[in-house]
Amino acid sequence: MAKGDNGVRFFQALLILGNVIIGMCGIALTAECIFFVSDQQTLYPLLEATNNDDIYGAAWIGIFVGFALFNLSVLGIFGVIKSNRTMLLAYIILMLVTYGFEVASCITAATHRDFFTPNLFLKQMLEKYQNPEPANNDDKWKSEGVTRTWDRLMLQNQCCGVNGPSDWQNYMSVFRSRNSDSEFPWPRQCCVMDVQGIPINLDGCKLGVSGYYNNKGCYDIISGPMNRHAWGVAWFGFAILCWTVST
Amino acid sequence: DLPLSSLLALTVPRAQNLRPQIANPKLATNNPTLTTIVLEKPFCVFDDSRSPGSSYVVYLYAMADSASTVSSAVTDNSSKPLNTTFQDTNGGQLGPYRAALFNVPNCVSPPLLADVVNVKKVSDVLKQYLFRVGDDVTCLYDPNFPGACNPPLAEDTTYRFKYLLVDLVAGVVKDQTLWSDPMKTLKQTSTIDTWPGRRSGGMIVITSILSTLIFLLVVGFLASIFFFVISCSNTSVSLYKVPQDSAFTDPD
Repeated sequence: MAKGDNGVRFFQALLILGNVIIGMCGIALTAECIFFVSDQQTLYPLLEATNNDDIYGAAWIGIFVGFALFNLSVLGIFGVIKSNRTMLLAYIILMLVTYGFEVASCITAATHRDFFTPNLFLKQMLEKYQNPEPANNDDKWKSEGVTRTWDRLMLQNQCCGVNGPSDWQNYMSVFRSRNSDSEFPWPRQCCVMDVQGIPINLDGCKLGVSGYYNNKGCYDIISGPMNRHAWGVAWFGFAILCWTVST
Repeated sequence: DLPLSSLLALTVPRAQNLRPQIANPKLATNNPTLTTIVLEKPFCVFDDSRSPGSSYVVYLYAMADSASTVSSAVTDNSSKPLNTTFQDTNGGQLGPYRAALFNVPNCVSPPLLADVVNVKKVSDVLKQYLFRVGDDVTCLYDPNFPGACNPPLAEDTTYRFKYLLVDLVAGVVKDQTLWSDPMKTLKQTSTIDTWPGRRSGGMIVITSILSTLIFLLVVGFLASIFFFVISCSNTSVSLYKVPQDSAFTDPD
């Protein structure tokens, strides 16, 4: 009888430990998703303009799922300690629902990570940047967001275009149809500027003389944080799910 | 080496063997663009044909390298340079037009390319060393524009260029280079495929494993509910029956 009791105690301890870990993971997931949603690099307008911001949906689900996991783990621990059958049943049902949501969030994040190709950002940059005649209010909002974000990105990070300044030369774009190629081979933000925001040598910038224009593309700066965060949302969620199943 | 070159210079003016060159691609990386082509100015090209005491100027002619070109002549019968403009020649399609005139580059003290890194000198170096055909976006719309208008070139078009040395006083061509090799302006593409194509391994792993897990969980949950209900009905039945049985069995 004493031996069986010990076995039950050991099993209970294991369940409690598992639930503690789930609770901590839940908090971490919430924190991570909040960080993603808070958009430290202000890249959200770029995603919004692609009509492909489901990854933010995934992160929002992640926030609530993380919180729910934390609460559930507390419930689970109480249930195990008190050996209350109803409590445990509620725990299992709620956990199943939460699990379903997290699966959805995780798969969404993983799927949409694949969409972050250079061409995705290239296309909307060409179509939306400095668009003077948006089709409707929604388009206007998006165009302004994209223009603002690109101006800031290129200036702050000393980069130009998605793959490089040649994007503005090689592809048809709204910017190109609005501006003469002779005067604006690429936006002024691609020029190396002094502190007052004036190109240090405009001719050198137009000719592409090294040191007077920014020759690297912005893709790494855009996709770097987004990819990392989406990776976190996807794989961390995945790890939690695997752990929950095994518990 | 020196006697030979001076001998050659005596027999044939040097410029007549030379062609305008496209700017060094290491210096001007954005060249040609859609509407501009940057050329090197003719350094030390016209040195043999200049006599001291006269003043000279260099003319640059441009023409599209197309079938509709009527004539590539840039001088009239009395060896005076043609005064054709961009508009006259339909942007160089019908024949050469005068794109620019500038002073003869100084062969003795050419600009140092090393000075390009110097922010204070770069402007001067570029101005002395290079000429950008198609640079002026306003002159075409200015009816009172003096001199040669140099408006943007057409996209995806091949052009040739030629330098002339003109004696300012006599107004005649003293020397000229050959027509340059054809140089083509850029062409733009409009199609961009945004479909990611191949799915990443991570996405496949996550999706398939999670789908399987949730399937197993749901099945397990349904099964446990099922057994729970079964056992409940069993116990309720047995609870209901047991007293009867015991009632029946007790007297026995």
